[in-house]
Amino acid sequence: MKIRGVHIEDTFAEAFTMRSARLVITARSARWVREAALKLTGFATSVIGCKCEAGIERELTEEETPDGRPGVSILLMVMSKDELSKRLVERVGQTILTCPTTACYDGLPDAPDRVKVGGNLRYFGDGFQSSKVIGGQRFWRIPVMEGEFVVAETVGMVKCIGGGNFLILAEDADRALAAAEAAVDAMHGMPGIILPFPGGVVRSGSKVGSKTSKTMIASTNDAYCPTLRAVTTTALPDTVNSVLEIVVNGLDAAAVSASMRAGIDAACIPGVVSITAGNYGGKLGPHHFKLREIMGRASA
Amino acid sequence: MSGLRLMLRSPLKERLDLGAAFATGWAAATSADIARREVWSARSGTMLLGDLFSVEGTPDGTALLAGDLMLAERVGAGLAEGFVRVDGDVGDRAGAGLSGGRLELGGNAGHSTGEGMSGGILVVRGSTGNRAGSAAPGRKRGMAGGELVIMGNSGDETGALMRRGLVAVGGTTGRCALLSTIAGTVVACGATGPDAALWNKRGSLVCLGTVEPSATYRYACVIQPVYLRLLLRRLRDVHGLPVMAAHIDGRFRRFSGDFSETGKGEILEWSPA
Repeated sequence: MKIRGVHIEDTFAEAFTMRSARLVITARSARWVREAALKLTGFATSVIGCKCEAGIERELTEEETPDGRPGVSILLMVMSKDELSKRLVERVGQTILTCPTTACYDGLPDAPDRVKVGGNLRYFGDGFQSSKVIGGQRFWRIPVMEGEFVVAETVGMVKCIGGGNFLILAEDADRALAAAEAAVDAMHGMPGIILPFPGGVVRSGSKVGSKTSKTMIASTNDAYCPTLRAVTTTALPDTVNSVLEIVVNGLDAAAVSASMRAGIDAACIPGVVSITAGNYGGKLGPHHFKLREIMGRASA
Repeated sequence: MSGLRLMLRSPLKERLDLGAAFATGWAAATSADIARREVWSARSGTMLLGDLFSVEGTPDGTALLAGDLMLAERVGAGLAEGFVRVDGDVGDRAGAGLSGGRLELGGNAGHSTGEGMSGGILVVRGSTGNRAGSAAPGRKRGMAGGELVIMGNSGDETGALMRRGLVAVGGTTGRCALLSTIAGTVVACGATGPDAALWNKRGSLVCLGTVEPSATYRYACVIQPVYLRLLLRRLRDVHGLPVMAAHIDGRFRRFSGDFSETGKGEILEWSPA
């Protein structure tokens, strides 16, 4: 299959099941929404080293937020329920509680599985905290020097998918980056997905394990490193000199597929040789996103 | 036609306890089942609901009561499911013990409306008498959950002995709103009567109109509480109370009290810009 001259490999992206919460963060102005969101989602690229993966799903208008202020929707994903509560309390406590004018709400109110956030953070109030039930949801009011921090007692938790991906193999680094940027722009704001890596792009794709260290659970994906073409079993066509990866996590397979379709299509620009995906032979995760099926509606 | 319709056959001549009409599972009950439910009056004793009302329609979790029910007490008491609507005025203790579902009273309601509520939504289109959302006689704790929305005015001791929940009043409240409250919230869109929130432990009295905090309260600060944005938007958008954008975006003077109790309660008085 080719899309505008770019070869689409007959392979699949292998993804795994995670647990996700969706937070809605609001603040008095878009400036403080952004400050809070960037801190909350900072250093959250991969569970391998960051214990969670997080990103901004989309910006919310004043009409879309519970308190009528500017907001943002954030997805935070981990590998287990216990982890989710820990990471949420850490991150909301350190980045949203501390940020001027913010409030933190649940973006998955219908999810039956719940994890505590405000229910744990309330103890910061040192006995001066209070709660209110509004519309069937309990919120905690934690007194702070600025005024009050309002946070949902619990947030919904759902199973989700982590590790959707595709690799852009290009003739040079400039074209790989341009294609990756185009892909991210096309995927930005699509519902139910996040791109947890910097700017949505990964340059250091990894393979499982390491040749040199037993303690390393992941190491550089040498088959896709152009500088190692001569010294390892390469997966790169001769004309490829740079590779960038887009990693996408989503609330469900449909969201991941839709975003991959949009991203791959946008990445098919001159100078891109082929699009492939990372997988581990089907042994890592149960979710397989077959590139040619996903792109089936695109021009062949 | 779906839903049950209970039409009063003739005007009531004596006070009637309608508490049993919807107190137990009724949403799937047929009109015949409902007609066989027993109600009670002091003079006539036990009667069947069907003797007083013509009951028609098919069950779908909704019911409409029509007729002059001023002498009917405990209308919708114990409701736990479905949606019961009443056209016109009702007597005392309407919605007492409500724990779920929605009860909507189209006119005025008597005293002790929504007493002992623990959940659900009770909307009164008109005004209520005294002790709306308060405790049942002899009980120490009043409303423990749910939402009581009064579009008109409420009488004295609104929300007395509340433990949790919300009472919202579109008009004025009488004396001693939020009296001896453990927790919970009373919102008054109009003027709040004297002696408000006396012996309040942790409850919140939100006043969009005038209020005169008692001497056992202390001024704390001017604040724009974010939780009030949630609450006031809900009262405006869901219940249609007269909440303005200036209230939602507004500043409130916070008074802490009652210091004859724990002092952890509050009166929030809207301060026009």
